[in-house]
Amino acid sequence: MNGFRGATAVVGVGTTDYYKRGTSPLTSAQLVLQAILRACDDAGADPRAVDGFVSYGGDSSEGLAIGTALGVNEIRWSTEVWGGGGGGVAAAVNVAAAAVYSGQATCVAVYRGLSEGTDGRRAFAKGHLGHLYSAHGLLAPAQVCALRTQRMLEVDHVPASALEAVALAGYHHAQTNPRAVAYGSPLDHERYHGSRLISEPLRLFDCSRENDGAAAILVVSADRAGDYRGTPAFILAGVQGAAAGWSESTENEEHYSSAGFHPALTQRLWDGARISPSDVGVAQVYENFTGPAVAAMIDHGLCPAGPAAGEFMTVDNLTVGGGTLPINTAGGNIAEGFVHGIGLVVESVRQIRGGTPNPVTGADISLLIGGPMAPLVSSTVFGSPATV
Amino acid sequence: MTVPTDLADTVEAHGKAVAAGDNRAVLGDFLPDRIGQLIASADVPVKLKAAAVRTITDVGDDRYDAVIRYTKPDAEWFELRSRWVRFDDGTWRVFSVRNIPDTPPWMDLTGPSPDGLDAPHWDGLRAGELLIQRCAGCGEWVWSPRPICPRCHSFDMHWEIVEPKGTIYSWTRTWQPFTKESTGHLPYIVVLVALPGAGGRRVLGVLADADGVTPTIGATVRGEIQQPPDTEHWPLVRWHLEGQPK
Repeated sequence: MNGFRGATAVVGVGTTDYYKRGTSPLTSAQLVLQAILRACDDAGADPRAVDGFVSYGGDSSEGLAIGTALGVNEIRWSTEVWGGGGGGVAAAVNVAAAAVYSGQATCVAVYRGLSEGTDGRRAFAKGHLGHLYSAHGLLAPAQVCALRTQRMLEVDHVPASALEAVALAGYHHAQTNPRAVAYGSPLDHERYHGSRLISEPLRLFDCSRENDGAAAILVVSADRAGDYRGTPAFILAGVQGAAAGWSESTENEEHYSSAGFHPALTQRLWDGARISPSDVGVAQVYENFTGPAVAAMIDHGLCPAGPAAGEFMTVDNLTVGGGTLPINTAGGNIAEGFVHGIGLVVESVRQIRGGTPNPVTGADISLLIGGPMAPLVSSTVFGSPATV
Repeated sequence: MTVPTDLADTVEAHGKAVAAGDNRAVLGDFLPDRIGQLIASADVPVKLKAAAVRTITDVGDDRYDAVIRYTKPDAEWFELRSRWVRFDDGTWRVFSVRNIPDTPPWMDLTGPSPDGLDAPHWDGLRAGELLIQRCAGCGEWVWSPRPICPRCHSFDMHWEIVEPKGTIYSWTRTWQPFTKESTGHLPYIVVLVALPGAGGRRVLGVLADADGVTPTIGATVRGEIQQPPDTEHWPLVRWHLEGQPK
């Protein structure tokens, strides 16, 4: 086993409001800076002591610019995860942990900010789909994920009700999260099915939102976690990457209806954390769209494959207060808000650290699953102090 | 089969409102949760002379399809087919709308990619052939194109003519107007086609004549190269169902 397990921890989280896209009064960089300052406040950390900066998905705020704007004492680490869009969200956490674990930096901010005013419409999807897609009318990630989801439904016989359960679970949790965009707007079976089709089999409520906003977390060495306020969320394991024959293949990926979390990768995750899937108490599952989220849960062994997925994927089973595996407990990308999935990182940490709108009692293992069906996929396991 | 009288009246008035350019009345006929999608679905010229309701058909599930023919000032005409449902307030509203017959969209982002790797494919379409990349060293079919062979690392990559025939590996019918070029063509179906002639490599394309068709994975399709409407666009393979009845 490796010494990486529990060697680093998240000691602060910070978020801005979720704004309707195009309405943020702040630029992307200002949103990021506000999120980092709030994370520092949460941790009781001096913002000038942040010495590492990590983002993903083509963030317009480069680490050097952010560090300089913060007036930090020194920048020791500035890295962006290449490619994969939201698939890189957990990878960004892993990169920060690797930097701290290897002594390259001492306090790394992982952040993502989006503002339509700064970045333009659908900035998170820019450059993903080349001409071999676009010429044929495929312009949006929704359409690509729809193709893959359709095969999962039609060939693997995963029931469509599993998709609905992901959407309804997120909306359910958002009703107790006043910060959520869908707060006060509950979703039931009838409203879900009455919603317009986007790209079959995906309906409106199967799709994540687009919001302006930002969030950040602070990663430090576990040895120094006691210097900061609050309960640390220890990073037990992290994985990222793409299997042979998976990435950038214009829909020629092997295991096409999977989410891309191949067996060797998930096994490394569990081995690194020294747990099995059944130990996961709560999971934040990136739902760019509900179909990929279902595939990601199947890939991780959290949910059975094929028709049996329908028995596991029910609103009751996926929600806090009775469910065996609550997911997206602040509402997720679909109901809390979407800033390229960074909100899921914050909620993963809050399930350990406190501050979640829907705490899962006794959950010591909190799983973060990054953007599924993306060219790059990634996951991170967080643990409570009891796990280290 | 009877058509509710109030529906017939609503459709008649809707056609007149569209022809008169009475946008307020037209939008009032749309289901409120999808006004943006509906506006951008149908391609409707600014100036119209007349509207005539051709048919109203019961399609089951308390939904009705109305075909309305609109005449332009120059006497040319086109038809839209709208689907109507009863809304919560008791009025009939448009659930979906499309231009008929269905035609595939021509997108502006087309032709050789900036890195040029796929340029022979596009040149092949202009010459009337479907070309797929293949390694001259080991025979591996490679798609999408790569700078070297991922299997044997040969730099000798060439292009072979492949018969445009295969089976549907997956499909999606897109209703959302993600770009202005799709207006007038929504909804359209994109199929992912596995090509036995290229080692099972899969290519994307629009399924032609797909109005009202729900494809099945595994169905046989045949590709035809369609010439573009202007010199700004490149030819594209459009796919036609062979192994599945309409």
